Amino acid sequence: MDFRFTENQQDLIDAAKAFFIGENTAERMRKIAAGETVDNLWPQFAELGLLGLMAPESAGGLEQPLVVMAGVAEAAGYAGLPEPCLEIAGVSVPHANEEELSGQITRAMRSELRPHIDSSLADSGEVVMSIDPLRKLVKADSGNDQNIDSINHHGAVLSAAQLVGLSQRMVDMSVEYAKDRHQFGKPIGSFQAIKHHLATVYTQIEFTRPMVHLAAIKGGRAVHTAKVAAIDTAMMAAETAIQVHGGMGYTFEVDLHLFMKRAWSLCGEWGDRNYHMKKLEELVLEGDEPLGPGTTFS
Amino acid sequence: MNIEFTSEHTAFREAVREWLAAHVPSKRLPSFDTQEGFDLHREWERTLAKDKWGNVNWPEEYGGRGLDLTHWLIFEEEYYRADAPLRVSQNGIFLLAPTIMEYGTDAQKARFLPPMASGAEIWAQAWSEPGAGSDMAAIRTKAVRDGEHYVVTGQKTWSSRAVFADWCFALVRTEEGSERHKGLSKLLIPLDSPGLTRRPIAQLDGDPGFAELFFDEVRVPAENLLGPEHGGWGVAMATAGFERGLLLRSPARFQAAAARLVNLWREHKDRLSSGVSEQVLQAWMNTERFCAATYQLVSRVQAGASVSSEASANKLFWSEMDRHLHRTAMTIMGAKAELEEGLDAIDNGRWLDGYMFSLAGPIYAGTNEIQRNILAERVLGLPRK
Repeated sequence: MDFRFTENQQDLIDAAKAFFIGENTAERMRKIAAGETVDNLWPQFAELGLLGLMAPESAGGLEQPLVVMAGVAEAAGYAGLPEPCLEIAGVSVPHANEEELSGQITRAMRSELRPHIDSSLADSGEVVMSIDPLRKLVKADSGNDQNIDSINHHGAVLSAAQLVGLSQRMVDMSVEYAKDRHQFGKPIGSFQAIKHHLATVYTQIEFTRPMVHLAAIKGGRAVHTAKVAAIDTAMMAAETAIQVHGGMGYTFEVDLHLFMKRAWSLCGEWGDRNYHMKKLEELVLEGDEPLGPGTTFS
Repeated sequence: MNIEFTSEHTAFREAVREWLAAHVPSKRLPSFDTQEGFDLHREWERTLAKDKWGNVNWPEEYGGRGLDLTHWLIFEEEYYRADAPLRVSQNGIFLLAPTIMEYGTDAQKARFLPPMASGAEIWAQAWSEPGAGSDMAAIRTKAVRDGEHYVVTGQKTWSSRAVFADWCFALVRTEEGSERHKGLSKLLIPLDSPGLTRRPIAQLDGDPGFAELFFDEVRVPAENLLGPEHGGWGVAMATAGFERGLLLRSPARFQAAAARLVNLWREHKDRLSSGVSEQVLQAWMNTERFCAATYQLVSRVQAGASVSSEASANKLFWSEMDRHLHRTAMTIMGAKAELEEGLDAIDNGRWLDGYMFSLAGPIYAGTNEIQRNILAERVLGLPRK
């Protein structure tokens, strides 16, 4: 029992985070939103080992478990990364057979900004715009993949992990804003009303992240709990962040909206709150799963 | 990451389960905030200690088993699964003991830990004063050095268990003229000392769960100073860290309550409005999240990390989770929620007791407002002024 990332795993995640934040700057995000061309990051994703993070060593991958990809996904959420790196590397690659595997990675490397894929939409090939200006949806067949349970597990965990990262980012942005913005002759961050709002969100984040890690490793009801917790935390983070930013938060003048809109989008992806709550109703309230002390990890 | 229990962990869990099955009283004990209940809970502490189950994570020389915190979590899981009695010694074993292990002299460890482990000496906390609640640095109770003694004069309040306990650990002002966080010291004081008067305070359930303590020139041997003289604030903050952080409230307690809440919902679901199941699940999910976070924290602590300001998040989470969980139970019980006893009362008023106690959670161990200040200032880095 050591419910922490190993040193190597943490190094991988830290490197990914530094890369995401360094490359996907607010300026880059604004350019994409405005329809301008930006650097293609896919070769670097591959170079850092991120695309093959979960691929078998025999295929040149790092063969890391889903929980490490969740760490990377949190970092991607924090950075507001628009590329569907996680969907490719964390959902497609682990469920691809060997021939598909090399194809997936090279195709991903070659592409420009691949659109996010929302599996809840039917297949028509039509591109749909989201309120998130960095997100293009393609109507795709949700399919009858034989691995559908595992695919849903990966997708839900990685979307929850991104929501944790986004929540953290929105808190950090709000803290910076509250330190800087003065009213009544002092920084608004010195007022308890602001402090308490942000401390509440911080606390929710701290009690969501480990749940996401558990969900990655254990699957089952932990996944539904993690996604619901991540959704509730992210919505609270977004509402708190806009409140702390005041009128500025309601505009395109600050970048908060980019992260907030990504959060809204991910809340509905890979099972919305209703889907996961209904699953919990079946499993926890109406099912016969063991409940109580000692049943979370065993 | 590795979340597997070893075969040794599993064997330990089975041993705990077996012992508890054979020893947990079949009938719930009366509240330890009554004389009868206190005595019975003390007796239970003796039973635990006799077979070394009271403090599995303590060193063997003080009555423990020298096991790590993962074992402690497993013990707690089995303990609450078995619905064993609440720990009347909790102020001592969870708060004072870690402080003594960190700051105490060898003589103090040998003197105080074994009788604490055996239940022979039960401890109360004496920090708050009428004028020093959330603003704890406003403490005025003073201790003047007189040869080999401190002479303590002043008043403490909200001293949990102090009505029936044997000792208290107090935070007092030892340096004359000192202000705020400076000049405080931690003293260990027998509650039957001459000059010390206890006035029981009836808490929300009517029982004297805490007391006011009046010190009128109480002579305390100087060897009962814990940690550095005038350095008591640091010692107290270490205790507060244990209190808020990890030891006082393990996940098992809440997970047991959540499982009982699901059963309560199942028994009553036909007459409940549709929103109640959402609340029940929310309560259950919160306990799962608390459990996951605690295991992660324990893994970090076992790898050498220390718990500091982030402990405040822990306290916020469990206290608000507990209140929400019990409020949900009150909602389910509806018209019967107000009944404490009698044939119509559900589970002998246990949920009502739990709800009342849960209302204290956001207040004791530092109010949640103070915890939010600590998080905002020391973790998030927002300006103090």
